[in-house]
Amino acid sequence: MPRRSPWLWAAALVAYAFLYVPLAIVVVYSFNDSRLNAEWVGFTFDWYRKLAANQEMLQAAANSLLIGLAASAVATVLGTMAGVAMYRYRLRLLPVLVLTPIAIPEILMGVSLLIFFVLLNVTLGLVSVALAHIAFCIGFVAIVVRSRLAGMDETLTEAARDCGATPWQTFRHVTLPLIMPGVIAGALMAFTLSIDDFVITFFTAGAGTVTLPLQIYSMIKIAVTPEVNAVSTLLMLLTLVLIVIASKLSPSLFRSD
Amino acid sequence: MKRSYLACTVARTAALAAALLLALPALAKDQLHLYNWNNYIAPETIKRFEAECKCEVVQTYYSDNEELLAKLAAGAKGYDVLVPTANAVQALIRGGQLKPLDKSQLPNLKNVDPAYMNSPFDPGNQYSAPYAMSTTILGYNDEKMKELGLPTDTWAVIFDPKYLEKVKGRVTVLDSANELFAAALMYLGYPANDTDPKHWDEAAAVIRKAKPYWAAFNASSYIKELTVGNIWLVHGYSNDIFQANLDAQAAGRKFRILQGMPKEGAVLAVDNMVIHKAAPRPDLALKFINFMLDGKNSAELTNLIGSGNPNADAMKYIKPELLKYPAIFPPKAVQAKLDQLKDVNVAQRRLRNKLWTEIKASK
Repeated sequence: MPRRSPWLWAAALVAYAFLYVPLAIVVVYSFNDSRLNAEWVGFTFDWYRKLAANQEMLQAAANSLLIGLAASAVATVLGTMAGVAMYRYRLRLLPVLVLTPIAIPEILMGVSLLIFFVLLNVTLGLVSVALAHIAFCIGFVAIVVRSRLAGMDETLTEAARDCGATPWQTFRHVTLPLIMPGVIAGALMAFTLSIDDFVITFFTAGAGTVTLPLQIYSMIKIAVTPEVNAVSTLLMLLTLVLIVIASKLSPSLFRSD
Repeated sequence: MKRSYLACTVARTAALAAALLLALPALAKDQLHLYNWNNYIAPETIKRFEAECKCEVVQTYYSDNEELLAKLAAGAKGYDVLVPTANAVQALIRGGQLKPLDKSQLPNLKNVDPAYMNSPFDPGNQYSAPYAMSTTILGYNDEKMKELGLPTDTWAVIFDPKYLEKVKGRVTVLDSANELFAAALMYLGYPANDTDPKHWDEAAAVIRKAKPYWAAFNASSYIKELTVGNIWLVHGYSNDIFQANLDAQAAGRKFRILQGMPKEGAVLAVDNMVIHKAAPRPDLALKFINFMLDGKNSAELTNLIGSGNPNADAMKYIKPELLKYPAIFPPKAVQAKLDQLKDVNVAQRRLRNKLWTEIKASK
């Protein structure tokens, strides 16, 4: 193994500190015994207790999770199909159609979706938010899946066809297992994007539909209480669990190969 | 041994779709949809209204009038009662977004102090009923200001370098062109709603000269900065300064955060209850508005967050210590010096944006 220079270590350390220190602070301050949360006062579980009694915040978190799971599940299926189609058929228009939602400014997408839903007389609520999230997540999943396919050995599918597999069997038993890390990475990305989206959610959410980002944002004007730290800590834990599950499902996801 | 991932996904999706559909019949219960600012109604008030109307109050929040206007302009519906500030009420009326109030259903409207009725934003209160208000004033750390011997009853203290020298880096002003220009105009002796471009230039010059002494343009975290003691003097909203003092006392600080009403005048913001034109339950909306116009219910909000109260009947239910704050309950002499901000026209807005950008970019 080549020796790495101390500079490289230092740079890596600084980069990781930049990424993780703010998260660590959020977690530490969720146990702080002060509503102001400006300095360390003492250790307490109070904010978790208050959170457990805060119906609004819990409802918002539940909505966020439900929308995130539904949107990432549907977007993963559709996005994988789009990614495969873009790779296989090399259509000129398809990538444009699939990838535009990624490039389009969120504010534009939010307003246009709202106008669209109003036109179709769709009642704004969980369903409209989930549909909107699916719409912008598909592109991200498709990109990841397509780049995974680009690294795949074409001869493998040809061999499967030679052995008499139908196109579906080829996809199911050869292509899909090979692109699985891409699919899972896409699903995780879709989940993350959905759970923290503010702009599009703001426009497509209806009366009484509150997601976690909407709830937290509306509190900023008055002062964010450590309950927000507590709920963020729980979300981080959940994300961690999801990543562990994903790495178990597809060990190659976190290995360079 | 891997189970089919695709099958799993499909099953999961189906289950979630079913869950979403199952959640829908819950909407059948009587509900009032209130589109409100966060923490802008006391929880016990909601409970009492729910018991009285045998319905459920569902709240959604916005944090800015512009957010509310944008969302409704795009066609969002499902909200019954909204609580916009007066100039946003005017914009909503112009946009045809509101339902006129049926005053025969609002006997409690008589409780409102006549000084807050019949504003130029909604002449005759055809659409709106005053809910609560705040003023844009000075907030200060009493210990530090006394120590430095600075006045707290004039805008000069945040604009005049003579005073600012002593509190350099300990002052914040609101990150809002409208609010800051209004304060600077009043400091110069002009009305808050003055639209003379020459006066605006003068105001911009005042702001530019004071800017190096300010720590920041801050509209969100100044409550905390005051409470912690990092910032000693702010241009801010009366509710926020009230909250900062509550927080400081709860944290056991030695100093207090007090409100200073500038003698030149201040901006007043009155929030109003209105009914959206597409309200699913205008009947419940009227019931709610009438309920909130009752003195006791109205007083609960003031007791909770220190908001100003336009309801004359509420005074007897408000904690006596709150009645002493001139920024929350302005005496008649002060009332005469309070102005509500009017919307400016397109050309004026462009000019103000240009001045504001120059201010922000200046060193």
